[in-house]
Amino acid sequence: MKEYIGVDGYQALAKVLHKMTPDEVIDEIINSGLRGRGGGGFSAGKKWKICKNIKAEKHYVICNGDEGDPGAFMDRSIMEGDPHGVLEGMMIAAYAVGAKEGYIYVRDEYPLAVTHLEKAILDCERSGLLGENILGTDFSFSIKIARGAGAFVCGESSALMKSVAGEVGEPRATYIRSVVKGLYDEPTVLNNVETLVNVPTIIRKGADWYKSIGTKKSTGTKVFSLVGKVRNTGLIEVPMGITLREIIYDIGGGILDDRPFKAVQTGGPSGGCIPESMLDLPVDFDSLTEVGSMMGSGGMIVMDDTTCIVDVAKYFLEFLVEESCGKCTPCREGLYQLHKLLEKICSGKGEMSDIEKMERLSENVMIGSLCGLGKSGPNPLMSTLKYFKDEYIAHIKDKKCPAGVCPELITYKILDNCTGCMACIPACGYDAIEGKKKEVHVITQDKCTKCGACYAVCNFDSILVS
Amino acid sequence: MIHITINGKVVQAKDGEMLLTVIRREQIDVPTLCHHEAVEPSGACRLCMVEITKPEWDGWCDYVTSCLYPAADGLIVNTHAPKVNELRSSILDMYLARHPKSPEIRQLAAEYGVLKTQFEEIVDGNNCILCGICTRICDTMGFHAISMVGRGHGKEVAPPLNMAPDACVGCLSCAKNCPTNYIEYNVSNGNLSIWKKDFKMAACKECGKTTITKEFAEYLSKNRDINIDYFENVTNVTEKN
Amino acid sequence: MNNRFIVKPELCTGCRSCELACSFTHAVDGVRSLTRITPIDGGFKDLWVPVTCLQCDDAACIKSCLVNALKRNPVTGAVELNHEVCVNCMACVAACPFGCAVLDTQTNLIVKCDLCGGDPACAHFCPTKALEWKPIPKAVKKTG
Ligand SMILES: Cc1cc2nc3c(=O)[nH]c(=O)nc-3n(C[C@H](O)[C@H](O)[C@H](O)COP(=O)(O)O)c2cc1C
Ligand code: SF4
Ligand code: SF4
Ligand code: SF4
Ligand code: FES
Repeated sequence: MKEYIGVDGYQALAKVLHKMTPDEVIDEIINSGLRGRGGGGFSAGKKWKICKNIKAEKHYVICNGDEGDPGAFMDRSIMEGDPHGVLEGMMIAAYAVGAKEGYIYVRDEYPLAVTHLEKAILDCERSGLLGENILGTDFSFSIKIARGAGAFVCGESSALMKSVAGEVGEPRATYIRSVVKGLYDEPTVLNNVETLVNVPTIIRKGADWYKSIGTKKSTGTKVFSLVGKVRNTGLIEVPMGITLREIIYDIGGGILDDRPFKAVQTGGPSGGCIPESMLDLPVDFDSLTEVGSMMGSGGMIVMDDTTCIVDVAKYFLEFLVEESCGKCTPCREGLYQLHKLLEKICSGKGEMSDIEKMERLSENVMIGSLCGLGKSGPNPLMSTLKYFKDEYIAHIKDKKCPAGVCPELITYKILDNCTGCMACIPACGYDAIEGKKKEVHVITQDKCTKCGACYAVCNFDSILVS
Repeated sequence: MIHITINGKVVQAKDGEMLLTVIRREQIDVPTLCHHEAVEPSGACRLCMVEITKPEWDGWCDYVTSCLYPAADGLIVNTHAPKVNELRSSILDMYLARHPKSPEIRQLAAEYGVLKTQFEEIVDGNNCILCGICTRICDTMGFHAISMVGRGHGKEVAPPLNMAPDACVGCLSCAKNCPTNYIEYNVSNGNLSIWKKDFKMAACKECGKTTITKEFAEYLSKNRDINIDYFENVTNVTEKN
Repeated sequence: MNNRFIVKPELCTGCRSCELACSFTHAVDGVRSLTRITPIDGGFKDLWVPVTCLQCDDAACIKSCLVNALKRNPVTGAVELNHEVCVNCMACVAACPFGCAVLDTQTNLIVKCDLCGGDPACAHFCPTKALEWKPIPKAVKKTG
């Protein structure tokens, strides 16, 4: 707490409460161009404005700290490292929209974030920053923590609000938005952790300062979690509009082992894969959406030529099939069938007509699904089909997996340069390798399960995967 | 009163009433599998989707579930636009793959030209289409005896812990309104069973005829302030013919 | 609502004209419906009583319906059943002490008297005026 105040903490709150009207706060945020970091990229200020203008008994502010994307931990690091920043952002939002109660929805897997947030809330309550008549004004606000149910779909706004209210975290279909009718049917502002943590800085340094970072339509900075086949992995904070190439080669230090770059997957499980030809794409909300991916919450997975693109699509579809809440038919059954088709292709049984089948089904799932999970679920498939169709065709027509990943489509062979060292024989758990000392060994293809154990132990690069 | 256009015809509607209500009032057939007037709409089956647009949308149109979309003045609705029909047959195709044995699904799919699924059939599956009508009716009636369990493709309808549910009174409303007649029950000789729970029927003191279970009668008597004697006197005069 | 059924059992011959009228009036797709009125044998020789729904003020059927499928029509005073809402739980059938809500097994719908929208057909068809639909006599009104 002391440290936070030491770095100008709660200055923004004081400024807002004493010198600004709620409308001025909203205008400042709108002017800053701050867009939601949770996926949708909706203007935070505009959201607040709609909410404020709805007449209702109560207004709520909720901070979305569900972060269900596999491999993402930006929000976690913020909640653990800068809990006061999140609280201050929420307080300012609450002041702007006239809310008296707020919730932070934290993923159940983040106990440390909960502890830090709880302590921060307690500190604020003790020093009068939360509670009645904050800083001697007539603004009152309290914050409670709600623990997530541990499902990816609970990050979706209507499911999250049902979960906070103690119901099953299933999306609710309604064409009335949650800013109008949200938690307990009252107007509710839901913002992502990272969105809110940007708010105090904007208030302190001004919208113009904020706008000077990033691009015209996507202002400020964004935290990404850079993982995969790059030299340097981890969390990075970069200005919007930076190119993918800069992120991967300058910050990420290039591809591991200097292998060729193949694709980068952005936007979490329902994002898309971007090919090499688009590496100079500026990273902002609209450019990413245009190429069939999205900003999402900021996951970035870099892939090299040893990654099979069909396998990647299959992996993400599998995740989504498991995480679908199962309420609506297109998502529950459609994603399941898409995954089945991908499995069929990966196992060498694919037919060319399957591609068209997948394209049609994907489109229907996107139009037909109830919530964002299903609506964006086919993205990983659609984007890879668009940019890497050849690889799909190789799987289907030539029954080959060019990256050497799909077990049913590859063979392991021992080349003539085998020294007959016998190292691979015990390594194979299936007794598939035979051979005498100093003679070229042979793999019995019927027994080989393509586990790759022999490849790993061979010291002479004698095992060919093709 | 407001005006909306459905399939080219201007019709009157109440502001905010759901499109499906207006569509059905106009005797236009839109398939639904998760809709029941007794309960709140849920938007699960997605078959009732229609194409909507407005003059000021510049040719852009949206696809929405009519069971949940409130009528608004000037809305132009097409209940059988090409894309809507394509979407419906695709959804029915998915249903058919999952429930190939259900006669109800087969018939509805056939109406949309899907005679055989193009996807992988799930042969050992059951006929529950997860529409949630049963659970929503049970909730609306105030019993909360059954609910959806699990998520995704493995979701199912079940009583808590898959055991005979305490809260069930054996009113059979879930079973009788299941669009695919999936829920099993049995009524014979003054006994009734559903969800692995056995009930005794309340019998008329005079004629011995039974209508509902004792539990249901007791529940109604207690919670709805109805003399319990009424339930033991079910002489159905009009049933004599 | 000013009119009531005025029943004079001594005039009823058990001819079942009222039943026919009811059944045809409520026919669905040309199929005659289960009737909502029935003359019952009063127990004595030749004493018949036409019995139908009394549209009770404190109606047990309305109270028993957990999904609000039964509602009173404010104009006619009839307790009307909305088949779209009804979930066939049979509560009303069991609750009515006169057995005036019944399940039509042909259509699987619960049927009950709806006063034909305010002008009951049965009363028109009664040849002996044992059953009439007319304003309540003053003396009765006071007590009932
Ligand atoms: C399936 C699904 C999962 C989501 N998961 C998250 C999440 O983990 N964290 C998050 O902040 N937003 C998530 N969202 C987005 C939220 O619904 C919502 O748009 C966001 O929290 C709004 O905040 P913002 O405007 O600040 O971005 C998810 C959306 C969908 C459809
Ligand atoms: S789209 Fe998927 S996650 Fe969303 S409501 Fe439908 S089944 Fe649930
Ligand atoms: S059991 Fe029947 S009513 Fe219940 S969800 Fe399944 S299909 Fe629907
Ligand atoms: S049978 Fe229908 S009308 Fe009668 S109580 Fe049940 S739901 Fe209501
Ligand atoms: S009726 Fe099922 S979604 Fe509308």
